[in-house]
Amino acid sequence: MSRRVDVPVTATLLLCTLAVLVPLYVTVTMAFKTGEQAVDGNAFSLPSPATFDALAEAWRLTSFPRAFTVSVLVTLVSVVGTVILSSAASYAVARNWDRRLFRWSFFYLLGAMFLPFPVLALSQVRLTGLVGLDNPAGVAILHVMFQLSFSTLLYTAFLRSLPAELEESARLDGATTWQVFWRLVFPLLAPMSATVGIFAFLASWNDFMMPSMITADPALQTLPVVQNIFQSQFSSNYDVAFASYLMAMAPAIVVYLFTQRWVMSGVTQGAVK
Amino acid sequence: MPEPSPSPSKGPSRRSFLAAGLVGAGLALTGCAPSGRSAAVSFYQSKPEVIGYFDELLARFRDERPGIRVAHDVTTDLSAGFARSAPPDLGCSNYNFEIARFVEHGALSDLGDMPEADRVNPDLLPLIGLTASYPGRTSVLPYSLMVAGVLYNREIFDRHGLEVPTTWSELLDVCEALAGAGVTPIYATYTEPWTIGQGLFDYTAGGMVDVTAFFQALAEQGADTGPDSPVSFRNQFREPVERMLTLTRYVNPDAANKGYGDGNLAFARGEAAMYFQGPWALAEIAKTSPELDVGVFPLPMTEDPADRKVRVNVDLALWVPEMSPRQEAARELVSFLLQPDVVDTYNADNLGFGVTTDAPPVTHPALVEVQPYYDAAQFYLGPSQLVPESIPLHNYVQSLVTGADPDTVLRTLDADWARLARRS
Repeated sequence: MSRRVDVPVTATLLLCTLAVLVPLYVTVTMAFKTGEQAVDGNAFSLPSPATFDALAEAWRLTSFPRAFTVSVLVTLVSVVGTVILSSAASYAVARNWDRRLFRWSFFYLLGAMFLPFPVLALSQVRLTGLVGLDNPAGVAILHVMFQLSFSTLLYTAFLRSLPAELEESARLDGATTWQVFWRLVFPLLAPMSATVGIFAFLASWNDFMMPSMITADPALQTLPVVQNIFQSQFSSNYDVAFASYLMAMAPAIVVYLFTQRWVMSGVTQGAVK
Repeated sequence: MPEPSPSPSKGPSRRSFLAAGLVGAGLALTGCAPSGRSAAVSFYQSKPEVIGYFDELLARFRDERPGIRVAHDVTTDLSAGFARSAPPDLGCSNYNFEIARFVEHGALSDLGDMPEADRVNPDLLPLIGLTASYPGRTSVLPYSLMVAGVLYNREIFDRHGLEVPTTWSELLDVCEALAGAGVTPIYATYTEPWTIGQGLFDYTAGGMVDVTAFFQALAEQGADTGPDSPVSFRNQFREPVERMLTLTRYVNPDAANKGYGDGNLAFARGEAAMYFQGPWALAEIAKTSPELDVGVFPLPMTEDPADRKVRVNVDLALWVPEMSPRQEAARELVSFLLQPDVVDTYNADNLGFGVTTDAPPVTHPALVEVQPYYDAAQFYLGPSQLVPESIPLHNYVQSLVTGADPDTVLRTLDADWARLARRS
């Protein structure tokens, strides 16, 4: 086969690549500039002299290790919680579709998709305060809850495409529902779990509003909230701000590098149904 | 709720098992997390430039009063804090409409009985009351004041033999002379609406209109505000807006695609003679040109030099929420922060003006020029600060400088004001 180049498509893709790479380049170079060079109106210049001052300053201002740990814990709980809860819920719903309770609970879960957090913010703030969940644990639980409806939708659609015969054979061998789910169905759901996990990861890692409102103790804030101190009207410390963005972005990029394969397959899985 | 359909033999036990597991997990998570509130006094202060500065101050306070624990809070969402009945114990924030809501609902305690309250410059009290007040209470104590005027490049003025204008016609002469010599008279940054609102708009309006009287009358008038009411934006702001539009003839031609950062850079590089920004821009300008010789003058809007006034805003104010369980400790911290050497050092370091009667004059070479106006109480609160945020004033002003019809915009503003008054 000849290696023909489709010029328009390649050009479009190149442009799209640039749309990602250029801001990334600016973020990286800006993080190593001095305060003076950062405001000289030339975002694309290379840092000269290159300095680690901005990184050190951002590290100090955001109490980076602490905020990072909180962010990681919240995200971890929310990803694991979302995957387990919504896959279990979808299994129950998909295999009991003929029964009203399960059908309606599916619609009930889907209904939550139409309730964005800002609408519920005030009541959630009060409720979490009352039950002592005005901390990262509360944020993680709420992340799981808000992720539940969309994830259940994805899982349910995927589960319908799994042949029921597999489960029947397991049943014939004497497996309980619990065993069928854990030994057979959950492993089969792996591609969809990757998709759901990625969505949950992004939603939780990048969330600003919920932790900023729910968490009462400022020492337990997540990274995006702590970074808000760089959003100031009157001063522009681009070097420090970008240094901190770079540090916050790094984990997501690293995770992506290692899970690229699953991300790609996961995205197409989500697209089929 | 739909009726549960008959379940298979093991159904209920499995369901209850799962429910129990969930509850258990929730409890375990709650138990592991450190308790949300500690006994420390939480000090809310979120001005990014001075977080490090206040950290050091708090360290000093801990040394002086070992009995009181304080924690610096830079991230709390104030509305959420008040909603869950656990606001910060002491706030030190910009005195704007966000905090005004808490003042008006009586959520802040009375600090009037503190000796520090008697030291506050009495000229400032009407301005503080104008933004928000609660009957019979001193809800906030001002901490730092920003005094703003037109920043000008002294070197450019000298080079063209120009004096600081004291009347409106002198101002136009200066602009003409600069434009004639090929110098951009005024640098404007229309991309960011707030820069026009606090600059061109506030300076022109504040220099002609008695802002305090206007907004008091407007508040009393409330829902009756309209084109025919005695006080309205259309009547009183018509002339200032026209003069503002006259000034826009002298701005840089590319103002429409310049932002705050561009403005600081261009002014620092001597690309324009005047720049309508407050003292907060001085630190940004100094990042590029630390040696630039900058001065400040109040924008003259009438033919009487005695009418010149500067724009002020309460940059930081201290407040203690009514529902804080640690009032005493919070008040001790207030006293500490308002000790003359502490508050005066803060203001000297951060280009603020002292708010107490015993405060020394400013020493910054640019700001010394406006000290006399502050001493003589020749100042006004920026009108853009007095319009609630639900009215997009800055965007209206942006539309004005980019060609909208002043009459239509001012009518809209009046209608917005009346609608808001009807609702509240």
